[in-house]
Amino acid sequence: MKNVIAAGAIAATGVLAPHVAFAQSATVQQIMDRGTMLCSGHNGSYFGFVEVNDQNEWKGLDIDLCRALTTAILGDPDANQIVPLSWAQRFPALQSGDVDVIIKATGWTMGRDTELGLQFSLPYFFGGTQFMAHGDLGITDATGLEGGTVCVEAGTTIERLAANYMTTIGIEHSMVSYESQAELRSAYLANRCDAFAGWGPNLAVLRATELDNPDAHIILSDQLSSEPISAAMRQGDEGFVDTVNWTIAALLIAEEEGITSANVEEMAANPPNPRVARLLGVEPGMGERLGMRDTWAKEMIAAVGNFGEIYDRNLGADSPYGLERGLNSLWSEGGVLYAPILD
Amino acid sequence: MAITDITPPSQFTEARKRFVRHGFGSPQASFISVLVFAVLAYIAWKFLGWAVFRAVWSKENADLCDGHGACWSVIDARHRLILFGTYPYDEHWRSTLAAIAIVVTVLLSCLPAMWNATRLAVLWIVGFAAYYLLMEGSLLGLQQVTTDGWGGLSLTLFLFAAVVLLGMPMGLGLALMRRSQMPVVRWFAVIIIDTIRSLPLVTTLFTAAVVVPLFLPTWLEGDKIWRVIFGFALFFAAYQAEVFRGGFQAIPKGQFEAGKALGISYWCILGRIVLPQVFRHVLPSTINMVVVTFKETAIVTIIGFFDILASGKTAFGTAEWAPYYIEVFLFVAAIYWIFIFSLGQYGEYLKGRMAISEH
Repeated sequence: MKNVIAAGAIAATGVLAPHVAFAQSATVQQIMDRGTMLCSGHNGSYFGFVEVNDQNEWKGLDIDLCRALTTAILGDPDANQIVPLSWAQRFPALQSGDVDVIIKATGWTMGRDTELGLQFSLPYFFGGTQFMAHGDLGITDATGLEGGTVCVEAGTTIERLAANYMTTIGIEHSMVSYESQAELRSAYLANRCDAFAGWGPNLAVLRATELDNPDAHIILSDQLSSEPISAAMRQGDEGFVDTVNWTIAALLIAEEEGITSANVEEMAANPPNPRVARLLGVEPGMGERLGMRDTWAKEMIAAVGNFGEIYDRNLGADSPYGLERGLNSLWSEGGVLYAPILD
Repeated sequence: MAITDITPPSQFTEARKRFVRHGFGSPQASFISVLVFAVLAYIAWKFLGWAVFRAVWSKENADLCDGHGACWSVIDARHRLILFGTYPYDEHWRSTLAAIAIVVTVLLSCLPAMWNATRLAVLWIVGFAAYYLLMEGSLLGLQQVTTDGWGGLSLTLFLFAAVVLLGMPMGLGLALMRRSQMPVVRWFAVIIIDTIRSLPLVTTLFTAAVVVPLFLPTWLEGDKIWRVIFGFALFFAAYQAEVFRGGFQAIPKGQFEAGKALGISYWCILGRIVLPQVFRHVLPSTINMVVVTFKETAIVTIIGFFDILASGKTAFGTAEWAPYYIEVFLFVAAIYWIFIFSLGQYGEYLKGRMAISEH
């Protein structure tokens, strides 16, 4: 009986509105009904990704992506609610519906993707293991560490990666393990290590905030590994995954096309090519296929800027951390970020 | 003339005399005293030099912070974050009023004049309703702030007050059940108390906050904060029940039997004869439990609440203020100290008061 009604309903919608065949996702519908997007925050501060400013407002790369997504769905960057979550709590909180999406420096792993029943978006950030070395060594990559001492945190994947990498490039060195991050840091500062290995963004933040003289330290150019950081969603709502993926894609395409929060109106009034016209909703296509407004990408870019602007504001050149784009540049600039094809 | 002077020596003179007698009675004692005071004075001087004389006070001067003195600018710039968490900036007056409502409620419940069931019930309902209405806001026609946005000192105070005020009667109930003559009731209490005591607090809170919603129907879930308060209160109650049990064991059985022989009802024996003595016996351990609970509220950060410690960490969790975490921790420690020291002093006052009533 239920099936008959459902079939009838589908037929009826089909007849009445043939263009809404790309049905909206349940999650997006829920967000629209609620009028608020529920995003993950942090139970404290995770430098560059999730912080709180002097006006008690959330900020950071992950927060800006949440604002972008909120603008895309609801048209208002402030219509979100950031739910503070600890690391351990984030996946159960997503499953129980406390948040709609996790955008919280979360790596895409097979275990999470399969066993935990999560669905990951396009990676929006790549963070890899890197070395930080004393600037007075005058080196720029790990080949300069010949005969030196490299320190690592004991028992981490970073330890294995560093040993593996140094063997691969054939550099003689001695490796010293420390039990904790704090010990490692003080050993490095006391010059007991020439370099130490860590997660790239963390190294950059440490360099910018905790070391007395940032310029006396250099992050070497070697990338020992690269972890894709993605937004995580509940499995089983492909429509919502599409929405999140195309939000990230639109931010990347905007950067590729040079559309910024400052010139987006101008670009929309006078699109230089059909791709921009489509992206900004001058030509239809962006909205209908996701069950949203045609101009969602335009509104989003006006509110938070393109991906480059978001990065620079929170982690990059315009932030106190000054983290190089590196791998996180667009493919056209030598990075690995790229958007699917906007047809 | 001096011999006829019979006014008692002032406390201060007396203390000074005792100090000189004990501290400088022999050369060795004098030497050790001088050494200890020199070290203390040196530490105090160093600390004051860092915390006061070389310190930078305002956020406008933050660029003068050079690591040689305390950089209190971080408190100047971020104290509202520490005190209110991520509560909306323009609504902080509500959070302030709500915190005051909780403090007043707790203070009033500490006054002996308020100690009867009706008055306490009315006070607590009014106090907590005032807190909730102010913080949440939508019922008063103010901007709605959901519990995710609550934080800082007002959240810590609320959690603490709610846990103790809920947990105390629950603990008493469990203790009474544990003493019951009925095996089913007794075993029920034993199982509850021992199960909860064998679980770490973190597990209890995590279950209440994160696991329970996975299998409860949505309409029964309630807000995370209530589930957490309930879980925390249950934890408090399990321990407090054992504290009460110790108090009950100190009462000779004969008092109950004598009461029964006189035909006094169970509740009357309990309320008029036994409990007043139990309360007196358990006072020190209860104050202990309450103080520990106040400090333990910091654990809620693991389930994503912005208590004062978490918001303190957030305050230095930005590039500008990252080096000045010691200042923030000292500020938070001072706030904890004020509240916990007052609790301790209140315990002393109660003890004195009860000692009088014993005579």
